[in-house]
Amino acid sequence: MAVVANELPKVRRSPTNTKIKRDTHSKRLARIGWAFSTPALLFVALVTIFPIGFSLALSLSNVSVTGNGFSLQGFTFSNYYELLNSSTWRYAMEFTVFYTIATVLVELILGTAIALILERLTKGRGPMMALLLLPWSMITVISAELWQYIYEGTYGVLQSMFSAVGLGSPVFLGSPTPAVVSMMVADIWKTTPFVAVIVVAGLVMLPSEVFEAAAVDGASSWTTFWRITFPLLRPTIAIAVLFRILQAFGLFDLPFVLTGGGPGTSTTSLALLSYKVMFQNIDYGPGAAVAVSATLLVIVGSLLFLRVFKAQVGKEELQ
Amino acid sequence: MATIGMERINKVYMNGFHAVHDLSLTVDEGEFMVLVGPSGCGKTTVLRMIAGLEDISSGELRFGEKLVNNLEPKERDIAMVFQNYALYPHMTVAQNIAFSLKLRKMPKGEIRQKVEEAANILGLTEWLDRKPKELSGGQRQRVAMGRALVREPSVFLMDEPLSNLDAKLRVKMRTEVRRIQERLGVATVYVTHDQTEAMTMGDRVAVLKDGALLQVDTPQALYDRPVNQFVGAFIGSPAMNLYQAEMANRGRSLKLGSQVLTLPDTILVARPALSTYSGKQLTVGIRPEDLSARPHLSTSGNTLRCEITLVEALGSELMVHFTIDANLIQVEQVNSQEQDILSDKNEGVARLDPSVPVKAGDKLTLEVKLERLHFFDPTGNAIYD
Repeated sequence: MAVVANELPKVRRSPTNTKIKRDTHSKRLARIGWAFSTPALLFVALVTIFPIGFSLALSLSNVSVTGNGFSLQGFTFSNYYELLNSSTWRYAMEFTVFYTIATVLVELILGTAIALILERLTKGRGPMMALLLLPWSMITVISAELWQYIYEGTYGVLQSMFSAVGLGSPVFLGSPTPAVVSMMVADIWKTTPFVAVIVVAGLVMLPSEVFEAAAVDGASSWTTFWRITFPLLRPTIAIAVLFRILQAFGLFDLPFVLTGGGPGTSTTSLALLSYKVMFQNIDYGPGAAVAVSATLLVIVGSLLFLRVFKAQVGKEELQ
Repeated sequence: MATIGMERINKVYMNGFHAVHDLSLTVDEGEFMVLVGPSGCGKTTVLRMIAGLEDISSGELRFGEKLVNNLEPKERDIAMVFQNYALYPHMTVAQNIAFSLKLRKMPKGEIRQKVEEAANILGLTEWLDRKPKELSGGQRQRVAMGRALVREPSVFLMDEPLSNLDAKLRVKMRTEVRRIQERLGVATVYVTHDQTEAMTMGDRVAVLKDGALLQVDTPQALYDRPVNQFVGAFIGSPAMNLYQAEMANRGRSLKLGSQVLTLPDTILVARPALSTYSGKQLTVGIRPEDLSARPHLSTSGNTLRCEITLVEALGSELMVHFTIDANLIQVEQVNSQEQDILSDKNEGVARLDPSVPVKAGDKLTLEVKLERLHFFDPTGNAIYD
């Protein structure tokens, strides 16, 4: 009996001991992890968090600009009042939202279509993917210059093509609606491959047996796409669209190079507007307010989208 | 309802691999045909060709009188159960079962009635609103069966449908699958690598190896009269013991290593060809149940002395592993799945009465049912004439 009594606590203690050991071990691992990531985190704080905080401070201050720089003189909401009363800001906001929705939608449809074709390629899929990724891998400013050359009013490639087939000389970047459409075409050309590649990756992951079952069940290819492929692809598409929304809301380099935001303000996005107000008009307070409004738009837009898709993401994973 | 007729069917893949050779096989209406063979024997390829998921390189496939070689899967009126069930992960159980009916534009009320009926038969009623991932393996399996059940197809195909289930459930589902097949009453092709499944489920069993059909017959006939030593070794568990032997004395005695079995005249009468092997090597096959223990170490013309290496007590019987000094013949692609890797390659197995007091290391005299011996020529073909 005595032996048993002596033995029992020992037996009970041993699992606790290992747990404590494991805890200290994982704590040590965590410490090492933090130690390694601290420099990177400091760097991120310096180039991202500080500027965001600073522009928030700027947007809520009376900023006076002097020859030596600028100084913050007291708290105010006036920058935001100015924003809300500005038709330029309202247009930039509407333009950015419309542009994002339209381009992302077209990219999604085209990208998925391309992905479906690519997935069916048994030979030469690799080279095709590489070719496809060429526009995506190009720096936006460079591709914008390229499109500038295509759209240019006098010597542009498109211009001469149109007149060669007798369609006259349409204006591409010189008037508001064509300028918006032209810019969207350039954007879609560049970013559709990104969507296509993500969707191909998603397609390849889908189990082939499910499609065979659908074939046996009597589904046509159209039905198979809408009833099987698309629902199963939803999480993948959600990720592609989220990335694209984040990027498109930050639209800056394309209009900066192609149109400078014009004609008038017809292609001025929120990001471009913020840049112009801050660095061309040297109006730091309102400029910062525009930047903050753009940030809010990105956050709200992404959250809304995720909310719509949340039901799908993670829920549709394969059995 | 239709028969499945395969006439000299071949499958050659793009890379030149000849997966199926000149397969001719007929499955009657309502018949449960099992295709069995080691992995890579082409059985799944055959099934996929019947389903239309794989092109037929040459030969004719007919459902009834109709040539279906070039029909799409959806035009063939088949139901198929896949190895991983292939349920639609985003649909509920009810939607999974109803999918094919919906595609046929069947009225909603009728669909609901059929789905409920199938769910009732399969015990899935309370799971109808669940998604596949919320179900256990056995339930998913039943949903896959349910999809086939509501279809009322003219041909029913199953590709190793039980292989992902645990052993106990697999045994239970064997009977359920049989029950459902009988209910459907259509020509059924069932693919498995498990010879027990093949034996217990099939009306007839077709044994395939390296893309060729070796033998097709009822399970009992396959067991009793295998056409060659592969079928002999593949069908039956534990597998048939195959020994290299030498025929002597004009077919009257059989030398296994240093021991001699004296064959009765009845065997030679039934198989006169055996006498031509006098002085030659052949393979003799002894099923584990055709061996029994002799109480004493006495020997005669129908006994083999052996040394016991391992005893597995199964309650109703003993599996006794033993060695004799004759060469045991290993049949390629058979032993890999059944044989314990730790066991000696030269071990035979006897299925003995549990009352026999034996243990590893003992010497034992085994009595052989000579009438039930199997003989195979050096090329592996069975000798029956």
